[in-house]
Amino acid sequence: MKKYFLYLPFCLLLFFGCKKEEIGPQCLNCDETFISNTSSTDVLIINEGTFGWSNASITLYNKSNNNVNQNVFKNANNGTDLGDVAQSFLQINDKGYIVVNNSNKVEVVNISDFTSLATITGFNSPRYMLKINNSKAYVTDLYSNSIQIVNLNSNTISGNIAVPGWTEQLLLHNDTAYVCDMNNNNILIINTLTDVLVDSIKVGISPNSLVLDKNNQLWVLCSGGFNEENARLMQINPADRSLVQTFTFSNINHSPGSLNINRNKDNLYFINNSVYQMSITGNSLPSTPIVTNSGNLFYGLGIDPTNNDIYVADAIDYVQNGRVFRYSASGSLVHQFTAGIIPGSFWFIE
Amino acid sequence: MKGLFFIALFFSCFDVMSNNETLDTIAGKTFELVDQKIPKQYKKTAFDSISIVESQNLSELIQQHSSVFIKDYGPSSLSSISFRGTGASHTQVQWNGVLLNSPMNGQVDFSLYPTIFFNQAELHHGAASLMGRNGALGGSVLLKNSQNFEAKNTAFIKQTLGSFGAYKTELSTCFIQNKWLFETQLFYYTAQNNFEFKNISKKGTPIEQQKNAEMSQYGIQQGIYKQLKNGSFGGRIWLFDSDRNLAPTITKDSANENQKDQSFRALLEYKQVKNKLSFTITSGLVKDVLIYEDMSAKIYSKSNSYLVDNLINTTYYINNNINIINNLNIRFETAESGGYSTIKERTQGSWMTGVVFNLGRVQLNVFNRFIALNNVFNPLAPSVGGKIQLLKKEQLYFKTNAGINYHYPSLNDLYWNPGGNDSLKPEKAQMIEAGFSYTKNIRNTELTLGAVGFYNYVSNWIIWLPTEFSYWSPTNLKEVENKGFEATFGLNTTFGKLTIKHNANYAYTASTNIKTNNELDNSINKQLIYVPFHKFNYTFSAKYKNTSVYYNYSYTGMRFVSTDNNWYMPAYFIHNVSISQQIKFKKVKLTASFKANNLLNQDYQAMAFRAMPGRNFLFSISLGL
Repeated sequence: MKKYFLYLPFCLLLFFGCKKEEIGPQCLNCDETFISNTSSTDVLIINEGTFGWSNASITLYNKSNNNVNQNVFKNANNGTDLGDVAQSFLQINDKGYIVVNNSNKVEVVNISDFTSLATITGFNSPRYMLKINNSKAYVTDLYSNSIQIVNLNSNTISGNIAVPGWTEQLLLHNDTAYVCDMNNNNILIINTLTDVLVDSIKVGISPNSLVLDKNNQLWVLCSGGFNEENARLMQINPADRSLVQTFTFSNINHSPGSLNINRNKDNLYFINNSVYQMSITGNSLPSTPIVTNSGNLFYGLGIDPTNNDIYVADAIDYVQNGRVFRYSASGSLVHQFTAGIIPGSFWFIE
Repeated sequence: MKGLFFIALFFSCFDVMSNNETLDTIAGKTFELVDQKIPKQYKKTAFDSISIVESQNLSELIQQHSSVFIKDYGPSSLSSISFRGTGASHTQVQWNGVLLNSPMNGQVDFSLYPTIFFNQAELHHGAASLMGRNGALGGSVLLKNSQNFEAKNTAFIKQTLGSFGAYKTELSTCFIQNKWLFETQLFYYTAQNNFEFKNISKKGTPIEQQKNAEMSQYGIQQGIYKQLKNGSFGGRIWLFDSDRNLAPTITKDSANENQKDQSFRALLEYKQVKNKLSFTITSGLVKDVLIYEDMSAKIYSKSNSYLVDNLINTTYYINNNINIINNLNIRFETAESGGYSTIKERTQGSWMTGVVFNLGRVQLNVFNRFIALNNVFNPLAPSVGGKIQLLKKEQLYFKTNAGINYHYPSLNDLYWNPGGNDSLKPEKAQMIEAGFSYTKNIRNTELTLGAVGFYNYVSNWIIWLPTEFSYWSPTNLKEVENKGFEATFGLNTTFGKLTIKHNANYAYTASTNIKTNNELDNSINKQLIYVPFHKFNYTFSAKYKNTSVYYNYSYTGMRFVSTDNNWYMPAYFIHNVSISQQIKFKKVKLTASFKANNLLNQDYQAMAFRAMPGRNFLFSISLGL
């Protein structure tokens, strides 16, 4: 009897010691199908994934047949994880650029099948990417106090432009890049021919997104920080860098974001709890939403440039797969489907 | 070295580190009367001295020697706890009665509690924790320093060297004269933690070295006690300093995070038995400083928290059959942090009153705890328990208990800016358990068996959720049902000079989220994340003359890591072995020991994307008087 207990450890060792080796998080029910050919009817959902994990992912949604594929990058690349926090996506011709914030990299993929073409490394905390020309792009950054200049031919960082802090969304107009400077509440103005920061325009607290309308007017959405001031939507004339008008949100608790524009560049969209639409000629902020959140917390917003359909995502509790809703241009629900963990942004394949 | 030894002699008592005595003999009989014990109808796990000695810190002790799950983020990183499926703030840690949980987040980092700083440790499961305190919805961890005024003077020094740059010096002395007892524990520990691991987050799963995980800790504890007639009076001071780099998840190539924890803890204790009354009066003062720095994000944050915790625990023995228990606790907490708009403070008072009946083969108890927090009175946190000896001649008991427990929101939950919600209600747990215990002594062998099933329904569980604004905020939204089963086994045998001990624990825990506010939320009716369904461990130790061997096996089952239960972490199982040899030269005992951790070199993660060390070794030499 007593001898038996002496052997017990070895029994247990044998019993538990011979399992198949699995390390790290495993998926019980994950899509493993490969995609063959993306088309212009496909919408990408960029899922940030859990901070500190490598489960960022790309969901592919076909808007003509409602087909959904998950984990598109991983399935196209022999199971390699995309990385830690996919922040944004940019398509340049036949290539896709996935900015992976916490992995400090940009993944370059073939837009047709998402096979990896290159990995641009050396970033600090990259956020958004902007094409300047066929061989040059800018990448904004959370911590590096600089905008990285990427050589699109060699897929390397070729230089940087010193800036005073956290840079966020950016756009290009007349050889000039307009960049949201989150820390100093400015729109930075960069000459893209010389890569030099030439000027800045003072805006409200925490400018998080910006668009250009059909009259070449710049619209900037400032969240107002954490109850520091009321959020503002500001119109700027880039020609003379002047502030044209400001719309102030009435509730200081509100923190709007995700400013978007439609195909004709005459209607603005943003999330402020619900989704709102506003004409560029409007006299005031819209009082009724085009899409009511009804219990959901909208995190990401995209406007289909072909038909102005509204795509919006709910990350639920941020620790499970999120949900995407597609509404028609008039705001009626067309379809909804499950995406990956923390669906944060959309890209409509060109 | 010579200098250190001199200090050792100078301070010069109990001999916990030389690992050859059991704790039961260390605790002096005089004070068995004084220390209030929970009735046996409640579940407790008492760690034996060898388990304490073989563990680096409290995190390792609980992880390897109990069925409670520790969320271990890796060497040098955070270790938090999940007791019976509850959250990290639902377990309380007491040091000789003083509650050490942070007033700010309500939690404890178990990696910051070196085992040299206590000589007894117990877990109180479920409603067992209600006797000492309110708020431990899962259970409590009790750390104690017992004094034995009858012991000889002792001095003990131990030097350990280990893999990945580990270096530890421990010193412990006890000196008794004229009914005064002076004891000192000192330690210094440093490690590089530059172990290798397989990076599964990268293409081709390369072998990489852990980055930014260097750490150092030092601490001193000084106790001074005076033996009184039927009592004692004394106090102790605990100083502790930890400086560690926080290793990133394996997805990151670099990190610049650093955390410093500085603790000052002091307490005064007065224990007395007078006529039919025994009481303990304890007053504790705790100051904790936490400094967090992230060089790349340019974040520097410092928070200070202070607490004063006063306890009066009394037992009145009306006769052999009826004991009246009254425990009073007044606790003041305050904290300042960049996360608060102003300095925050609060006072909580609670009074537990109850009676224990010993009626032959039956024991019953009825308790109630009254709680007042910032002048809001909560009159009902009751607990009832009972035990019956089923067979006249066998130590076979049926035990059952039930209780209601409240856990109040932490200062962060209430006041964190932005997000803090000062209208939060306390979390409420309604718990019930029942089980059996059996003890059998046959000649030189003692067998103990225990099994208990529990049910714990927690409502108003505080959960931080994203809001319509761009920050997160806590609400009382969550409701959780915890169900489980715990089993224990112990077998101790002595044949002449050979002593053999076996000890095993098993727990099954099903912890289910039963409420959501969003119909699309797939976390409903799913297992909570990082609650393993199965946890098992087994410890074997044998001592023959001056040679000891020790083996520990711990198995942590699969646990989900996404709330929709689509992602899980695979089970892991760790084997640790050690051997030690003692040589005696007259009064001096020299002990050399060698330990191998993770013997099978298992590559695993306890928490997702946190690297853990493979096989590693520790070698130590100690000298004791």
